[in-house]
Amino acid sequence: MQHFKFPLRLITHPFEGFWDMKYEGKGRLSVSFAIVFLLTVVMILQKQFAGFLVNMNDPRYLNSIDELKFIVIPFVLWCVSNWSVTTLMEGEGRFKDIVMATAYSLVPMVLIYLPTTIVSNFMAQEETAFYYLLNSFALLWFVYLLFIGMMTVHQYTASRTVVTMLLTLIVMAIVVFLGMLMFSMIQQIIDFIVNLYTELVFRA
Amino acid sequence: MKKIILSIVSFVILASIAPVANASAPYESYNYNYYEEAVPMPAAYMPSKSISGQDLGVGHFRDPNDMYIAEDGFIYILDSGNNRIVVADRNWKLIRIIAEFQNEGKKDGFKNPEGIFVKGDRIYVADTENQRIVILSAEGELVRMLENPKSEVLPPNFKFYPRKITVDNADRVFVIARGVFEGIMQFDEKGKFIGYAGTIKIQSNPADLLWRRLATKAQREKMALFVPTEFSNVDIDRKGFVYATNIDPGSEMPVKRLNPAGEDVLKRYGYHPVRGDIQFLLRGAMGGPSKLTDIKVLDNGMFIVLDSLRNRVFCYDADGNLLYMFGSKGNQLGTFKSPAAVEGIGETIAVLDRGGARVVLFETTEFGHQVNQAVALHHNGEDEKAADAWREVLRLNANYDIAYIGIGKSLLMEKRSGEAIAYFEKGMNRKYYSVAYKQYRKEKMKEHIGTFLTGCVVLFLAWIAYKIVKTWRRRKGRRRNATF
Repeated sequence: MQHFKFPLRLITHPFEGFWDMKYEGKGRLSVSFAIVFLLTVVMILQKQFAGFLVNMNDPRYLNSIDELKFIVIPFVLWCVSNWSVTTLMEGEGRFKDIVMATAYSLVPMVLIYLPTTIVSNFMAQEETAFYYLLNSFALLWFVYLLFIGMMTVHQYTASRTVVTMLLTLIVMAIVVFLGMLMFSMIQQIIDFIVNLYTELVFRA
Repeated sequence: MKKIILSIVSFVILASIAPVANASAPYESYNYNYYEEAVPMPAAYMPSKSISGQDLGVGHFRDPNDMYIAEDGFIYILDSGNNRIVVADRNWKLIRIIAEFQNEGKKDGFKNPEGIFVKGDRIYVADTENQRIVILSAEGELVRMLENPKSEVLPPNFKFYPRKITVDNADRVFVIARGVFEGIMQFDEKGKFIGYAGTIKIQSNPADLLWRRLATKAQREKMALFVPTEFSNVDIDRKGFVYATNIDPGSEMPVKRLNPAGEDVLKRYGYHPVRGDIQFLLRGAMGGPSKLTDIKVLDNGMFIVLDSLRNRVFCYDADGNLLYMFGSKGNQLGTFKSPAAVEGIGETIAVLDRGGARVVLFETTEFGHQVNQAVALHHNGEDEKAADAWREVLRLNANYDIAYIGIGKSLLMEKRSGEAIAYFEKGMNRKYYSVAYKQYRKEKMKEHIGTFLTGCVVLFLAWIAYKIVKTWRRRKGRRRNATF
C-alpha cells in the first residue's frame, strides 16, 4: 500500500518526492512498470470510449497493439537515450533511477485521462473545451515532473537539465534511425541468402 | 393436378425469360463518407435514351457546345459546328431549326457559338467568333444584339468573345467571355456593360512569392503572371443568384453562388468541399481534381455540376452535400466521350455529349427518386415527411450519411432527442449531435431532479439524526460516568 501511496505524494511534492525516491529507496521498479501498464490501458480506453464529440478516431482502425508503439516503445527509448546522454554528461542517475523517475512522472496522465474519458461522454460541444484543457494540463504536469525528476536524479542545474532533455530527444531520433537501418539491412541480407539458396537449388 | 403443375412450370419458365428489370449501370456509383473514402452506392440515375441529330431528322450534330431546356420543356441544342440552333419539344420532336436570321435586311448567321440561354420567349446566343451576343425571339427573328461593350474599365482594344451566358429576372445578362479574368461581365437590360461580378481571388503560394522577390527584373518579366482563372460556366436560380464554375486546380471552391452584390454565398455545410471528386489520382491522363465545366440549378436548391475530366455528373443539395453522382468515360449509353453541357427538367437529367454528338437522358432509379423526394421535402420544411423518405433511402442504402442526419433533424424537431442522438452519431454530425445531446441531458435532468433532491434531503436529515444520536449518547455516557 505504501508503494502506491508514494507516487501520489510525489506528484504533488516533486522535489521531496524524487529525492525520497532515489536516496531514501522509496521507489520501486515494479510500481513503475505498473504505472506504464496502467497508462497504456488508460490510453486504449480513451481511444475507444471517449465521447463522440471528442473522439476523432476511426473505430475501424483502432488497434490496441498500436498503443505499445506510442507508449511503451517511446518510454523505453527515452530511458535508454537519457541514460546514454547522462552517463557522458556526469549525471548521477542510474538506469533504474531514470526508469523510475520517468514512470512516476506519468502518474498525472493516468489519473486525469481516465476521469476525462468518462466525463467526455456527458459533454456538449461547448464543454469539450474542458476536456482538452484538462488533458493538456495533464501533459504539462507530466513534462514538469519529468523535468524535476531528471534534475533531482542526475543532480543537474536547471539549464543543464533542459539541454540533456533536448539531447535525449535527438538521441531517440538517432536510435530510431539506426534501428530502421538495421532492419532494412537484415531484410536485404535475408533476401540475399534466400536468392542464393534458390539459385543453388535451381542450378543443382 | 397435371394442369396445375404444367401451369406452374410454364409460369416459372416465362418469369425467367422476362427481361431483368434492374440492369446494371455502365458506371460505378459512389459517395464520399465522413472519412473521405469513396463508398459504393446504388445508382441514382440510369441512362434511358440517347438522341442524336439523325433521331431528330436534322443530320449529324457537329461539336454541339451547349444545350438549354426551357421551363416549358422545349429543348434548345446549340449545334455549333453547323452554326445552328435545333429546337425540339419535350417529346423530342423537332420544332424548328434556327440557322440564320434577318439583320437589317441582310441574311446573318452564327459563327461557332458556344453558349445559349432561353428566358421566356427570348433566345440568347453567345455568338463567340462573331464577337457578339444575339438575342432572338422564339421564332428565330432578331430582337437585339450586344456588341462591342464600351466602358472605362475595359481596355480600348478589347475584343469581346462571349462564351457562356445567363439572364436574370430583371433581364440583366451575365456573360463569361474568353480572356476576361476580372469576373463575370454584367450587362443591364438595355445592353450596356455595367461591371463585373464575382471576381476570383488570386491564390499564390508563399514559395512563388519568395522566388519572385529573389528574382532579378529581367527574370521576373519572363515569369508567368499570377492570373486568376476564368469562369467556365454560369447558371441562375429562381431567386436571381448566379451559380458559376471555374477550373482552378488549386481551389477548394470551384463552384460559386453569387448574390447581387457579387459575393460568394454558396452553403458548404457538407463533409467535403463542393468540388466534384475528393479522392483522385494526382498524375496521369485521368488524374487531378475535377474540371467543372457546366452547372445547372435544379428545383429545391439542388444543383448539378459536370466534370469534363472524368466525365461525371455530381449532384448537390442546397447545403452542399454530395447526393449522388453518375457517368463515366466511354462509348456505351450512359457514358460520354466529351460532355459539354448538363441540363435538368423535372427529375430527368440530360447530358450533351459533344464528342458523341448526342444528348443522353437519365431517369431516376427508385433510390434516386427517394433521395430527390427527401431533399425536396426537407427544403420545403416538411422534415417529418422527409424523415419517412430518408428511411426509405436507408432501406435501399444503409451507408447514406445524409439520410441519418435528415432523420435525426426530424426527430429533434419532435423533441425525441434521445433517438436523434443515435442518428446523428451514425451520420457523424457532431454539431447536431451536441444540440440533441444538450436537449436530452436537460430532459433527463428535469426528470430526475426531484428524486435527486429528495435523496439529498434524506441524506442530510439522516446525517443530522446521526449527529444528534451521537451527541445524546455521549452525554448519556458522561452522565453515567458522573454518577459512578
